[in-house]
Amino acid sequence: MSSSAQEIDNLIGQKYKEGFVTDIEVDTFPPGLDEEVIAKLSAIKGEPEFMLEYRLKAFRHWQTMKEPDWAQLNIEPIDYQAISYYSAPKKDSDKPQSLDEIDPQLLETYKKLGIPLDEQERLAGVAVDAVFDSVSVATTFKGKLHDVGVIFCPISEALQEHPELVKQYLGTVVPETDNFFAALNAAVFTDGSFVYIPKGVRCPMELSTYFRINAANTGQFERTLIIADADSHVSYLEGCTAPMRDENQLHAAVVELVALDNAEIKYSTVQNWYPGDENGVGGIYNFVTKRAECRGVNSKVSWTQVETGSAITWKYPSCVLLGENSVGEFYSVALTNNYQQADTGTKMIHIGKNTRSTIISKGISAGKSQNTYRGLVKIGKNAENARNYTQCDSLLVGDKCGAHTFPYVEVKQPSAQVEHEATTSKISEDQLFFCQQRGLSAEDAVSMIVNGFCKQVFKELPMEFAVEAQALLGLSLEGSVG
Amino acid sequence: MSAEQINSQYPAEYAKVEALLPGQSVSWLKTLREQALAFFSSHGFPSLREEEWRYTNVSAIEKKLFSPVVHDEIGALDVGSLDTYRLENAWTIVLVDGHFSAALSDLEGLPSSVRVLDMASALEQYPDELQKYFTQAVSYKQHGFVAFNAAWFTDGVFIHVPSKEVLSKPVQIIHVVTQADYMSNTRHIITIDKMAQAEVIETFIGCDDAYLSTAVTEVFVGENADLTLYKLQLEGEKAYHFAGTYVKQEANARFKHHNFAFGGLLARNDIRTDLGRASECELNGLYLGIKRQHIDNHTRINHLQPHAISRELYKGVLDQRARGVFQGRVVVAEYAQKTSSEMNNRNLLLSNDAEADTKPQLEIYADDVKCAHGVTVGQLDEKSIFYLQSRCVDEATARNMLTFAFANEMVFKIKIKNLHDQILEQLLARFPQEGIQQEWL
Repeated sequence: MSSSAQEIDNLIGQKYKEGFVTDIEVDTFPPGLDEEVIAKLSAIKGEPEFMLEYRLKAFRHWQTMKEPDWAQLNIEPIDYQAISYYSAPKKDSDKPQSLDEIDPQLLETYKKLGIPLDEQERLAGVAVDAVFDSVSVATTFKGKLHDVGVIFCPISEALQEHPELVKQYLGTVVPETDNFFAALNAAVFTDGSFVYIPKGVRCPMELSTYFRINAANTGQFERTLIIADADSHVSYLEGCTAPMRDENQLHAAVVELVALDNAEIKYSTVQNWYPGDENGVGGIYNFVTKRAECRGVNSKVSWTQVETGSAITWKYPSCVLLGENSVGEFYSVALTNNYQQADTGTKMIHIGKNTRSTIISKGISAGKSQNTYRGLVKIGKNAENARNYTQCDSLLVGDKCGAHTFPYVEVKQPSAQVEHEATTSKISEDQLFFCQQRGLSAEDAVSMIVNGFCKQVFKELPMEFAVEAQALLGLSLEGSVG
Repeated sequence: MSAEQINSQYPAEYAKVEALLPGQSVSWLKTLREQALAFFSSHGFPSLREEEWRYTNVSAIEKKLFSPVVHDEIGALDVGSLDTYRLENAWTIVLVDGHFSAALSDLEGLPSSVRVLDMASALEQYPDELQKYFTQAVSYKQHGFVAFNAAWFTDGVFIHVPSKEVLSKPVQIIHVVTQADYMSNTRHIITIDKMAQAEVIETFIGCDDAYLSTAVTEVFVGENADLTLYKLQLEGEKAYHFAGTYVKQEANARFKHHNFAFGGLLARNDIRTDLGRASECELNGLYLGIKRQHIDNHTRINHLQPHAISRELYKGVLDQRARGVFQGRVVVAEYAQKTSSEMNNRNLLLSNDAEADTKPQLEIYADDVKCAHGVTVGQLDEKSIFYLQSRCVDEATARNMLTFAFANEMVFKIKIKNLHDQILEQLLARFPQEGIQQEWL
């Protein structure tokens, strides 16, 4: 035990690998938020009139709202006036047309992050819409996607080129009045991704975006809108890393998914933002609103997330199952270490008949962290034969951390079947002993057991992500139990 | 009148009857009542905005000003009907409209070292001793109902079992409310010393009109002691019921609670237990809802010390327009290593208008623990029904049999024969028993 305790300290103490700062000139607003700032932001982006109105409406509503305090989180008060709401690479007016035109320093950054933009095109078959401090700088594979009619572009571009589509769907899943952070996002979002899959199209490749927070003191407000029209299919990947900073940075993103008849959306996330140092100093505040509406019959939305970063995570990817026979899925691995806090889970709102949902949540707490699953399963009066299965397992590593489970189940329909199960335990000594007795080191044994613990979720991830996710878990946890 | 107006009238009413409430000569109690009343005046009854009350709307209670019953207003009681609920082979203590009735109670043959007496007398005889127990297990600040009860209680029962004493018979406390628009508020202290053992049965009955019944019980289970509490809630169908049982368990103490919530229009039951080192607790519950009943059960188990074990199973059967609410919270403190905890909540929805809301919760700060909870909400298993049909049982009977079997699991756990039979009778009276032949019960 004592030797492995040493290993725990060593491994838990590993430094954040992605920590570095890119030195690029940025065009940044002075800190502060009022209607003028929003108008300026909207003007810079050259947005249509309705967007400015939408933003101002959201801002006015936001001013009347209070920060939510119901989560099992300890949040330092945030001064929203001390945040700068816009930051863009300076060469904004002269957007690069190909990779050659991109700032070499930026390319270097991507290399460090392991996003080989210049060669990924052919090798991985993935289109990367890379967001660097709020403004998209490169989009690849556009031609290929264009051929099948898929629109995949920064949302600011979509506002120029397809304003009618954005207007039709923006804010219909997450209204600007939804919650404090969603309202803030609606008022000040700078950029994000827009995806439209036309009728009957199966998107020929996985769509991927890397978000990255760079300039200090810059809140990042991403807005993603994905629409899958009837009979279409899309798999979307989102991955995040951020450089090491001492000041807390706020991230309040909104993701809206719309699935029409027979459409399927698969949304995968690997989130590895800077979690703060071992004393809980610094780190990202990650307050995200993610929601999907299965509007059509037989539509399906699947959320898969691996959350290892951020000082504070407040995130509940949800599914509103409106259409008959629609399906919602949620697979999650949330790992917290040191002083990290995570309050995450999902909401499955069953409205249509024969709707089904599955929730698999795996929480791992280490160090002095707090990890909470909070979920709602609601079966409406008309959701005949609705079905839900929920499983929440928590693994505790060390005696200073906490693991909490707060499910809510509301059923108004007798033909519905709802099951919820949760367990909390530490890695069993017997399993560890068995592996070690077969010649595995304590580290390998723990790594194997933890990976097995998360396997149900990892197998839902696309290949590229599954590898990254396992590496991430290994980095933070290997051998930290004994 | 609005809820605020109703709530604000209680202090004025209080001033009228204050002098008639028990414990007038006890200064600490006077202070407690005043503080509790002040808390209630500023907070009122809990609202839906409070997380612990989000599924239970008590505003119906606030639409009416319930009158306190003072001694000379105690209603007439049909003694015969009381006998239906009175258990043979038990010591009985009867509270009518919140007041002890010596004539109806029977404490014959109680060992002299054991004290079972009404709270009003206990406050006169042992005011200093009672001070050591009052508000030790629950503060009046818990929520509006506890404060309301602390301010208004008219009587109750004090049970003290000295160390190593094992009670040969259970003690049954019968609460009866006889009059419309009145309220009965009772407060109990049960304390079981080291290595003692006791069983206590609480029965709640009442008239068919609207009334409010609140009972707060503080329980202290000493080292190695063993207490089993049975609660049979059979309030009238327009009644409002709140009961809170707050338990403190010393090392190795064992506490079992069997809760049968069958009656009342709006009934809420709170149980909270603080577990000592290597202590054990078992919470069982069955709630049946029919018509427009709203039945809410909240439990909280605090694992504060290592090696403790908790087991919990609550089952609900909800028919017609009934709504069942369950919240079970298990908290394992940082120091409480080697905790073992299991919680289960199973709900059977029998009608399109019934609703089940359930919230099992685990809050864990220690690592070497085994904790699990499970919830299901659903219907009878179609395969089981088909199986019975293939054995020549018609569908309606098959459904009745399976529903009964689902509920009977909880009744089956009762080891006191006549109590078991009484609960079974109540269960069958509330659900279609066609085809459930008595002989195989």
